[in-house]
Amino acid sequence: MIGDLFRLAVRNVLHRRLRSWLTVIGILIGTAAVVALISIGQGLERSITQEVERIMGFNTLLITPQGRSFQAQIELDLAALREIPGVEAAVTVRTETAYVEGPLRDGFLSLTGYDPAMEEFLGELHLELAVGEGLTAPGQVVLGARASQVLGAKVGDQISIEDRPFQVVGILAEQEEGGGMAYGGVPVNDSLYVLYQDLKGLFPGPDLAQLAFVKVSPEADVGQVKAEVERVLARTGTTEAEVVGFEEITQRIRTVLGGVQAFLAGIAGISILVGGIGVMNTMYTAVLERTREIGVMKAVGAKDWQVMLMFLFESGLMGLAGGTLGLLVGLGVAMAASAVVQRLFQMEAGFSAVASAGLILGALAFSFGVGAISGLLPARRAAALPPVEALRYE
Amino acid sequence: MREALLSLEGVTKVYRMGQVEVPALRGVDLELHPGQFLAVMGPSGSGKSTLLHIAGLLDRPTSGKVRWQGREVSSLRSGQLAELRGRHIGFVFQTFNLIPTLTALENVELPLLFRGLATGERRKRAEGLLELVGLAGRARHRPGQLSGGERQRVAIARALAPDPELILADEPTGNLDSASGREILELLRSLNGTGKTLVLVTHDTEAAKVAKEIKHMRDGLFVGGEG
Repeated sequence: MIGDLFRLAVRNVLHRRLRSWLTVIGILIGTAAVVALISIGQGLERSITQEVERIMGFNTLLITPQGRSFQAQIELDLAALREIPGVEAAVTVRTETAYVEGPLRDGFLSLTGYDPAMEEFLGELHLELAVGEGLTAPGQVVLGARASQVLGAKVGDQISIEDRPFQVVGILAEQEEGGGMAYGGVPVNDSLYVLYQDLKGLFPGPDLAQLAFVKVSPEADVGQVKAEVERVLARTGTTEAEVVGFEEITQRIRTVLGGVQAFLAGIAGISILVGGIGVMNTMYTAVLERTREIGVMKAVGAKDWQVMLMFLFESGLMGLAGGTLGLLVGLGVAMAASAVVQRLFQMEAGFSAVASAGLILGALAFSFGVGAISGLLPARRAAALPPVEALRYE
Repeated sequence: MREALLSLEGVTKVYRMGQVEVPALRGVDLELHPGQFLAVMGPSGSGKSTLLHIAGLLDRPTSGKVRWQGREVSSLRSGQLAELRGRHIGFVFQTFNLIPTLTALENVELPLLFRGLATGERRKRAEGLLELVGLAGRARHRPGQLSGGERQRVAIARALAPDPELILADEPTGNLDSASGREILELLRSLNGTGKTLVLVTHDTEAAKVAKEIKHMRDGLFVGGEG
């Protein structure tokens, strides 16, 4: 019988075609907006997570100063960290200011100690050479693009850093402004790069660093190693440091993105609400129009709940139709938008909208719910109509 | 004497129109027995439609008792009344009151649908009834595609669908030409012949003659004897 009531509801919705469509469009727009926003948001989250994974990998821990200011440095005992079971490697990004003499000028410039193991950690350093080659032996130096201009040094020249001679073996390609910020806050263009051991030779003492990376071997448990790293840091007197793993970084990104997403989806959700009011309006009109019909149904034995269910089905159907179409439109918009974004910003990591099962089911259930809830009051009015009055209604 | 199908005892009905109270029925007694065919006549406003609504359990009296097969119905909830109507009472209205979006067949099926009968069973019964009223060929038509006489016959088939003991007809020929009207009255008479109890409310003397007995109403009361 419930199936029959449902079929009756379908008939009624199809019968007032234009009005049903207009009502459905109201829900459609709202659902499409919410779906598009969430889908793009999930896509963004995924591509950022992938990017983080690509740059630092699942099994890498990051040690940063707690204050998070660019100048903050932490004192590390790298040797102690390397002794922790499960730690494959530990490197720091360490930058000092050094007195440099070049053929043209001299002055104080940033000097970064470079550890070849870092390549493995940070595939995305973008330290591309314009001329020459990379560091292979002590006593060599690679210059940032602007540093080479300031010093007037070319590949093959000899310069002096803190009164020690170094051979220029390569010059980096000019980096975009701000390109070095991801890398310990060092402006790449203005820096000089030497092997880490050379830097230690120039600036003896503890391992002071802006950042440090610890690579955990694949068999080891990242959580355990992280706890151990924290213990070792505490024991060796490094208290101002924070150890974060891949999970935490992506979790933080997720939290921020999630907040933004919820805010936007909430705003878009208001339009679903407006759509729901449209459904309510349509259903009130339908109840009024079919008052006599309701009276007839009751006269031939329809119970109140049957009348009510029929009207609820009608409003729920319109909600569901709007939700289904809105879902398709929303996903289409999200895909088009992500294609445009990808082209405009030439993102390297694939960025595409995500259509998760949760989003699809959620959108459908929510739109049916909005429809049904919007229809609740009109349906109750229909069910409560006294049969005689309904029959007498002109 | 056999037990009454329906009995009304001192039934009154007062409508409230704003501040004014309008009495529609002022203490009506009525007993309907199986096989009876009663015509209720009277001018408009005499209370005959109100009587029909109360007898059909569509409305509740202001005071007085209504018994269906000996059972007082005033304490029943609306769902139980709907159940009684759906099983035992068929209505035929002046304006047919078919659902315009449904076909003739579906309109006839409607009372059975609300009773929860399976589709196949419903269809078979509805087809049989349309055949009985001479509309077997019009089953797939919608009310808008049928003539007035045909619509009223669909309505009668619908009233017959649950195989009710009682059929209540409120001015069934009021919107029909005289030829169609006569056909409908003949149909009602033949139904009475099969054992159905009928009440026909009308202000048309000719129409009332189809009934076995006639009662007159005026100002909410039965007046005079049998006419």
